[in-house]
Amino acid sequence: MEIELIEILEFLTSCPPFDILPEEVRQTLPATIHIRYARRGAEIMAPGDALDTLQIIRTGAVEIYQQNGHLITRLDEGTIFGAQTILRGGTAVSRAEAIEDTLIYQLSATVFQNLCRDHAEFRDYFGPVGADRLRSAVQRAENGQESSFGLMASLVVEHISRKPVCMSPDASVKEAARLMTDAKVSSILLVEEGGSDLVGILTDQDLRTRVVAEGVSLEAPVRTVMSQSPTTISAHRTAFDAMLIMAQHNQHHLPVHRAGKIIGVVSPHGLLQNQCTSVIFMVSEINKQRNVQGLVEVCTQIPQLLVSLSDSGTTAQSISHAITVVTDTVTRRLLRIAERIMGPAPVPFAWAAAGSQARDEQTIQSDQDHCLLIDDSYVKSKHGQYFRDLARFVTDGLNACGFVYCPGDAMATNPQWRQPVRTWRRMFRHWITEPTPKAVMLCSIFFDLKFIEGDEQLFWAFRECVLNNTGSNRIFLAHLAANALRNQPPVGFFRNFVLIDGGEHDDTLNLKKNGVIPIVDLARVYSLERGIHAVNTKGRLQKARDEGMLSPRGARDLLDALEFINLTRIRHQAKQLRIGADPNNYFSPKELSHFERDHLKDAFLIVQTMQSSLEQRYQVSRFL
Amino acid sequence: MVPFWWNCTHVLEFRRRWLLDHVKSGPLRDYLMTPVPSRRRPLDSLDFMALDLETTGLDAKRDEIISVGMVEMRKCRINLETSSHLLVNPQKEIPEESVILHGVTDDISKTGATLEEIMPRLLDALTGKVLVAHYARLEVTFLQAACRRLYGYPLVVPVVDTLRLESKRLKAGNRYPKAGDLRLDAVRMRYNLPRYRAHNALSDALSAAELFLAQVSHRAASGRMLTLGDLLR
Repeated sequence: MEIELIEILEFLTSCPPFDILPEEVRQTLPATIHIRYARRGAEIMAPGDALDTLQIIRTGAVEIYQQNGHLITRLDEGTIFGAQTILRGGTAVSRAEAIEDTLIYQLSATVFQNLCRDHAEFRDYFGPVGADRLRSAVQRAENGQESSFGLMASLVVEHISRKPVCMSPDASVKEAARLMTDAKVSSILLVEEGGSDLVGILTDQDLRTRVVAEGVSLEAPVRTVMSQSPTTISAHRTAFDAMLIMAQHNQHHLPVHRAGKIIGVVSPHGLLQNQCTSVIFMVSEINKQRNVQGLVEVCTQIPQLLVSLSDSGTTAQSISHAITVVTDTVTRRLLRIAERIMGPAPVPFAWAAAGSQARDEQTIQSDQDHCLLIDDSYVKSKHGQYFRDLARFVTDGLNACGFVYCPGDAMATNPQWRQPVRTWRRMFRHWITEPTPKAVMLCSIFFDLKFIEGDEQLFWAFRECVLNNTGSNRIFLAHLAANALRNQPPVGFFRNFVLIDGGEHDDTLNLKKNGVIPIVDLARVYSLERGIHAVNTKGRLQKARDEGMLSPRGARDLLDALEFINLTRIRHQAKQLRIGADPNNYFSPKELSHFERDHLKDAFLIVQTMQSSLEQRYQVSRFL
Repeated sequence: MVPFWWNCTHVLEFRRRWLLDHVKSGPLRDYLMTPVPSRRRPLDSLDFMALDLETTGLDAKRDEIISVGMVEMRKCRINLETSSHLLVNPQKEIPEESVILHGVTDDISKTGATLEEIMPRLLDALTGKVLVAHYARLEVTFLQAACRRLYGYPLVVPVVDTLRLESKRLKAGNRYPKAGDLRLDAVRMRYNLPRYRAHNALSDALSAAELFLAQVSHRAASGRMLTLGDLLR
């Protein structure tokens, strides 16, 4: 090679993936290169063009557009384009335009294909992009945590290794101990002779504390020493839920039921894992507290919880779930403490969480969102004071624990969100039939509701009635869809900026507003059309897929996008916590690695695609 | 040696035909067999050759060529496959100040061929093409001198000078270039072209070629199809 082409060689060496080629192969490349120049504004490639060279930007910048005029990406010095086109067969499907005076090095398609054929690592760089690339990244993250939190997301039914061991409660303690020893189990279920109803459970621990320590006769019937009517868990709940119930009820063996039948027992032995132990520990600590001060102290550990879950490689979905469980438990505990101070409620009520808490999607700096549904026997003059004080107590308590007041005042302390059920119904009906922008905004908060404490019947009756009314109203759904398109993901990154559609750019990226919320909003529209009960975004998308509103591929891509964006966000927050900074949702693109940039871009593209399909489905433009 | 009207006509084809009648054999005759590209030809259809010569000094009568850099352009694309860098072994010693400038020492030069061996390759590469250089006068006078000395007749070749193009562009925009504004590096910067550290015949030829593409690309923005005549005018 001519020594003078060394500058071209040096440049190629600085452009990934040319850097991974063996030196002697790389040296042969400069002599094969063609060079072209495109002035600012010139079209470099148009849909339908036959592309026989790989394009490497030497100086300048290029924008790539979809056929419909949407900006796909903006590229700068040292980036490559056209690789996918060549690998696909050579016909361009997008348009490229120089946005600065641009010098382009071109490598012939034949040379490029030979490099791909001979060098696997080089080829991998041009491997799948978009949803497929994101999928493999999310899968890698998921596989990495099989041994830790993955277990806790597994279903209870997967942890049942044998049929339950049962006997009559009229048998003697001695017989029970004999059967347990023979069957090698640490607990036995007691079922009435001839019936199938579970009346009690007897454990190793019970034999020690209630029989031996108390000097009870070995001939005494089991009925006298068993734990009566133990709490059970449904087979399709998660191992995580099982651990929580055990902590909440101080019961270490949990019978599992399916279709009204007991199918086995789970115990902490099989379930216990470090990562969730810390959550379980916090929950049991919270449940022991008798005043707000105690709760505040326990809650100081929440940041540490997020950091350790993040470090353990747990999925974003599980981390948010864990944080939300803590919030739920604190709320529940505050309500109990309030009841102890203020006495029982004069009429039934349900305390419901809204927003991210309702969706089990909280992260470290989530604010409070909640409301009070009160029984229709409520009379303001008689009962108003009690519920006002209750709301004030819980809300102040949560704030003291680090869950800051809602800046939009969507809290039970606001009299508007502390109403008897009939008023709530009227309010929702009004929002649905006359969807003003404000009403639609409120819907997006209060359609995500989760029962926390109080009268569960009351809550579900109300929820059912609301869900039945939404799906049939196309105009309302169109407004809700329009609202879901309000926050658009950015297009990607350019140099050290975030690139927004229309070519504007920003120096920070808000992953919550422009990444998570668009997906949450999409899922809500789909779930309300079909009156889907699920509130969690993942659950909603899965249900929407099962109902055929989303293609399996569309649903999976969106879930991958959500997981990756959330994981990036949580890791960022964990990093901030570790260096003692206040965690937030703002990124400078400088902080993002190449890997994160590429994959976030894929995730954004998925969200954009799904937003346009939502736009078409609800014919949003006709209603705006 | 050339007829009286030689300097009165800019129609290179007249000169070529006259030369073809007089040059009976050799590399120059081979070169002259191909017509000179017409001024009416659109740029897309033409082949260009960016040329840079390193010399022992600036006087074509006394000084010698020590290296030749050539970069070919076809359809407004640079083609590095056909680029070449030829070292010439001069008759005299290379003066020290020239060594400092382009780094070609006597020892390196000894590895090169004689100008007599190199000129046929150069003429062959240039056949049917338009020559491009930055401050082309130097390249042109040295080439003419070499042809006259070796073959007894001058060369006929259309020449585009990127320095002159830039100077005219600036003047058309009522900007009058100051000293240094027209240096190759300074002009390239205005077109957002990369900075090359090395200075030798090949990298300077490449620099001129890239600059030429940039200038043509900006001229083409006006919409009308450019012809060779537009660049020679």
